[in-house]
Amino acid sequence: MKHLKPLNEKAHLIDQASRQGEVDEVVAMQTVAGCTATTDPGWEVDMFGGVAGLCQPMEADLYGCADPCWWPAQVPDVMVTYPDWAGEAPSAGKDWRKLDAVFPEDDS
Amino acid sequence: MCRDNSLYDRAARVARVAALAVLAAVPLAGCAEKGDQAAEAAAAPGDFLVVMNRPNKLNLVDLKQRKVANTCDLPGDFGPGTVAMSPDNRTAYVLTNRFENIYGVDVDTCEIRFSARQSQGDERVKSISSIAVSPDGKEVYTHQNPTRLLIDRYEVQDARIAVFDTSAGLDAKPVRTFPAPRQITIMAVGKDGTLYMGGRDIYAMNMQTGATTVALKSQSLNDPMESQRDSLTVWPLGDINNEMVRMYSAARYKDATQDLATADWVWGFERVDLATGAVESKVFGPLEVVLFSGMARPSDPNQFYGVLTQLKKFDVAARKEVKSVDLDHSYYCINFSTDGSEVYLAGTFNDIAVYNADTLEKLANIQLTGGDMSLANSRVFSRAL
Repeated sequence: MKHLKPLNEKAHLIDQASRQGEVDEVVAMQTVAGCTATTDPGWEVDMFGGVAGLCQPMEADLYGCADPCWWPAQVPDVMVTYPDWAGEAPSAGKDWRKLDAVFPEDDS
Repeated sequence: MCRDNSLYDRAARVARVAALAVLAAVPLAGCAEKGDQAAEAAAAPGDFLVVMNRPNKLNLVDLKQRKVANTCDLPGDFGPGTVAMSPDNRTAYVLTNRFENIYGVDVDTCEIRFSARQSQGDERVKSISSIAVSPDGKEVYTHQNPTRLLIDRYEVQDARIAVFDTSAGLDAKPVRTFPAPRQITIMAVGKDGTLYMGGRDIYAMNMQTGATTVALKSQSLNDPMESQRDSLTVWPLGDINNEMVRMYSAARYKDATQDLATADWVWGFERVDLATGAVESKVFGPLEVVLFSGMARPSDPNQFYGVLTQLKKFDVAARKEVKSVDLDHSYYCINFSTDGSEVYLAGTFNDIAVYNADTLEKLANIQLTGGDMSLANSRVFSRAL
């Protein structure tokens, strides 16, 4: 926690508990297995802050990002959460019109 | 879902292979000369490439003929499509069905001889492109990331290596498991049976005892003249060089002040010689564009090639780019012919681009039936049809 500064009440409680040894050590999931939000550049901008290094065309990179849940905020995750998102679109370049937006489902 | 290859298709493929065998053995009277030529062609070793694509197809590509020699429809869904070949290059072990299942598939007949569902009960298991086959072909290894799906929470479990007996048939279960480092994305097996795992570092595991050591330091290197390395790979490459290889990017500092503003940004590679276990890491060029995979040209380790939206060729000793061409579209995964004369680009869409390794001139596109290859790796080998 030494690099994080708590800003709200809950964060202060976590920070306090952490300092008292009451919170288990965080077990990091596999970067690409847990659908954790990655801060890697690469979808909107490349590693240099431009767009020249992005995959061309963007459809070429679509399933490479959706399959491993690499950018779950930018591309629906077909590994776990939206397995059927691309079921009717085997070719992203030809079938992109069949790919729709997704929204969280209300389980209540 | 599984189309089971249909009995008709499977029978037709078996008949085709059998016909080739007969053709090779007994030329028909009156057609002896043509029969001999066909038999020789069938018996002569040639280069083949195996790769998966959507919806869940396994392709055997005849690289000399520039055509798909066989396609198998596999059960379940796609992903990641990572392939590891048996020592005789007749059986492909694939990681598929959303990173969970393993199938051992005869690439000529499409018969599924081995299968394993890694997720069992309330435990969901995902493997990130980490599958490898022992040198004798008797075992297949995966790196497993298990999560228990409980009614009120998920519990992340320790990562592990699972060992399967390839003769166990369908619905096989692990015969051994060993604790393993997290964040493993590629694996390869050395001649002596050591399993090499690419993660934050490259690790070596004794597959009898599970004892694990760091074979090559990467993120734990702590070189005061270099930033922490960044390595992205889900493409096990290097079979035809008998090596495990991956690229990294880093900043090389000018001095101990570690000033990023004056540092040189570089591409390097990390490799394990699978025959000897020797490891090497070396800068091969400037970091000027994003590359996803790279490997040395067979027969000339001083020529290193990388690919994403360009295909680039580097002089390793000189640490400079010597040639670059823009591609029709991005490709994730590079590979070579066994003699090093041709470059094969796969991944992303559903065509394999063939380039001259000397001139980087495009020679052909081999179109797959079906959809995108996405993250699938390619395996190239030489064998008789």
